[in-house]
Amino acid sequence: MTALTLDVRDVTKRFGDGETAVLAVRGVSLAVQPGEIVLIMGPSGSGKTTLLSMMGALLKPTGGSIRLDGTAISELSESRLPDIRLRQFGFIFQDFNLLSALSVLENVAIVAELAGLRGRAARDKATTLLTELGLAARLDFLPEKLSGGEKQRVAIARALINDPTLILADEPTANLDSKIGHEIMRLLRSIAKEQGRSVVIVSHDQRIRDIADRVLWLEDGAFKDIVTMATDPVCGMAVERERAVSAEKDGDTFFCCSRGCREEFLGGLREDGRADGRQPHGWSRLAGALRSRRRRASTTQSDAS
Amino acid sequence: MLLARRNLFRDRTRFVLSVLGVAVSVGLILLLAGYRAGVYRQASAYLDNTPGSVVVAEQGIRDFLGTSSVLPPGALEAVRSTPGVDRVIPVISSFVIFERHERKDGFFLIGYDPAAGGGPWRLVEGREPTADDDLVIDRTTARQHEIAIGDLVTLLDREATVVGLSEETTFWAGSIAFARAATLESLLRSPGLRSFLLVSPAQGTSAEGLVDQLDLAGTEVLLKRDVIANDARLMARVYDAPIGLMVAIAFVVGVLVVGLVIYTATIERRREYGAVKAIGARNRTLYRVVTTQALIAAVVGALVGIGLAYGAGAALMSWRPQFLVAIEPTVIGVVLASSLVMALLAALIPARSVARLEPAEVFRG
Ligand SMILES: Nc1ncnc2c1ncn2[C@@H]1O[C@H](COP(=O)(O)OP(=O)(O)O)[C@@H](O)[C@H]1O
Ligand SMILES: [Mg+2]
Repeated sequence: MTALTLDVRDVTKRFGDGETAVLAVRGVSLAVQPGEIVLIMGPSGSGKTTLLSMMGALLKPTGGSIRLDGTAISELSESRLPDIRLRQFGFIFQDFNLLSALSVLENVAIVAELAGLRGRAARDKATTLLTELGLAARLDFLPEKLSGGEKQRVAIARALINDPTLILADEPTANLDSKIGHEIMRLLRSIAKEQGRSVVIVSHDQRIRDIADRVLWLEDGAFKDIVTMATDPVCGMAVERERAVSAEKDGDTFFCCSRGCREEFLGGLREDGRADGRQPHGWSRLAGALRSRRRRASTTQSDAS
Repeated sequence: MLLARRNLFRDRTRFVLSVLGVAVSVGLILLLAGYRAGVYRQASAYLDNTPGSVVVAEQGIRDFLGTSSVLPPGALEAVRSTPGVDRVIPVISSFVIFERHERKDGFFLIGYDPAAGGGPWRLVEGREPTADDDLVIDRTTARQHEIAIGDLVTLLDREATVVGLSEETTFWAGSIAFARAATLESLLRSPGLRSFLLVSPAQGTSAEGLVDQLDLAGTEVLLKRDVIANDARLMARVYDAPIGLMVAIAFVVGVLVVGLVIYTATIERRREYGAVKAIGARNRTLYRVVTTQALIAAVVGALVGIGLAYGAGAALMSWRPQFLVAIEPTVIGVVLASSLVMALLAALIPARSVARLEPAEVFRG
């Protein structure tokens, strides 16, 4: 158990009471390893943000437990939480949430100061970090003078300044164009891999899934593993897309269970329609995901949301 | 607190507004307090500047300005011969209407004996009264009525010649004028009349001791400072309620201006405060941010306000010399302290909304 960074067990969140109660998260379990990047995807309103907030100790679960490095943070009293948030978590928000009155450097340094570093040391640490993130020339800028990608890099520096165990990002690329978004994701990936921090990213952006170690699909407050599945166009078998052998044909990507099926498919021995006909029953709503339209390297598939 | 300073200074208009709010409020409070102190100081000017620490008045008379006093005959001689008495200044006081160029005004007329003392303490022009129809009047009053030395003024049914001009002799109910005691005796048709005796104890006798010794029938013997306090109480009845009300209003306005300015600044940055909270700042830290903002605004505002009060006070006094605005150092201390209280009260307005911020809200779009 000590090897786990975050251990989410059977967590439930209900908002409100009685008639108007909303069960935003229902019995979710999830374990995050050190250095692992977990991407949580799902349609809007599926409970992603609620789940992430609970993982970051910003919200108390209605049921279940959340442990961080063995400490049950879901049980801690409100007065203990600020310190956990400050030292264990790094938060990255969709709309950056930088402090508009402070310069780039001050935005990052103030978080180190909150954690007890004195002014000078905090500024030095922030300067080093921002320089590593390529923002050396922007230290004295106000956030309003920065581009979206720069703002998110400042936010990442702010999230990293207190050496958190876990980085939590909610839709970090939603306000960025896809090229910059990808850069940010690659940055998060290198942080995870080089510094051994765990990263949990919430997004409904299909384009960023390739940087994740694991992709989870949240729907109606519960994980469904089907989105990572595709159907072999040849034999009709359900395959995990990440583990499948992919095949390109007419600009589309297909997922096959084995090299054999792939070769058969590319050989054009069977027509597409047969594969559709062999779909396991009940998966029709995922029809769009079966034949993901994949243009070049970056994914722009029609998803199930 | 850097965040407090930056949040405050980044928006110039808002900062200037909050500072002006406090400045006007503090300035007004100081001006009112200074005006009140000035009124009191003017009212006690005669007693303050005339020697003696014990006042002998007619029985039942406990103040100097409010009522006329008639001492029993022989009182002066009795006091003079009392052991422990060093000096006695007898004065006659009467409120007298005078007329000049058809304009009427009031004099608090003091009749004194130049040899014994009790006359003008700041004679800025002319001389003391030597003849029966000589008169020394206040310089500001003289200017207002266009009276120069040598002019005639009608006092009751008589004419008097202005021979000198004095300063520091205006007060709330008019101004003080000086004539010889004999002038008042004949003006009031009361030969031998004396209103008050200002008594100085001899060396080795205390004022309190002297009060005990001067036990004369038909008189009231009081410490001079008690008489001054009684005069002040008389004025307090007139002045304190309206001035107090205005001070209270100015104070509340100051609190509200600072409070609302900081409040809107806080609401506007609601998301940012939420983010800071999500990152791990405690409520305590955020309170400190808003309180520091309020304190900076209040202290800068108070300093500006003090300057404002001095400026306005000086302007008022040169425009209307009969007003005395006396801004005392202790009052400045009180006002500075009250501006801090203002800031703390003002900080309560945004503090509530900061405390209620849910950190999880920052993730909501
Ligand atoms: N504070 C709240 N009070 C009531 N309902 C909420 C609250 N936060 C979220 N919800 C509801 O919970 C569900 C999940 O919301 P959310 O976690 O924001 O989804 P997502 O991030 O996947 O779009 C939605 O139905 C939403 O309306
Ligand atoms: Mg969301």
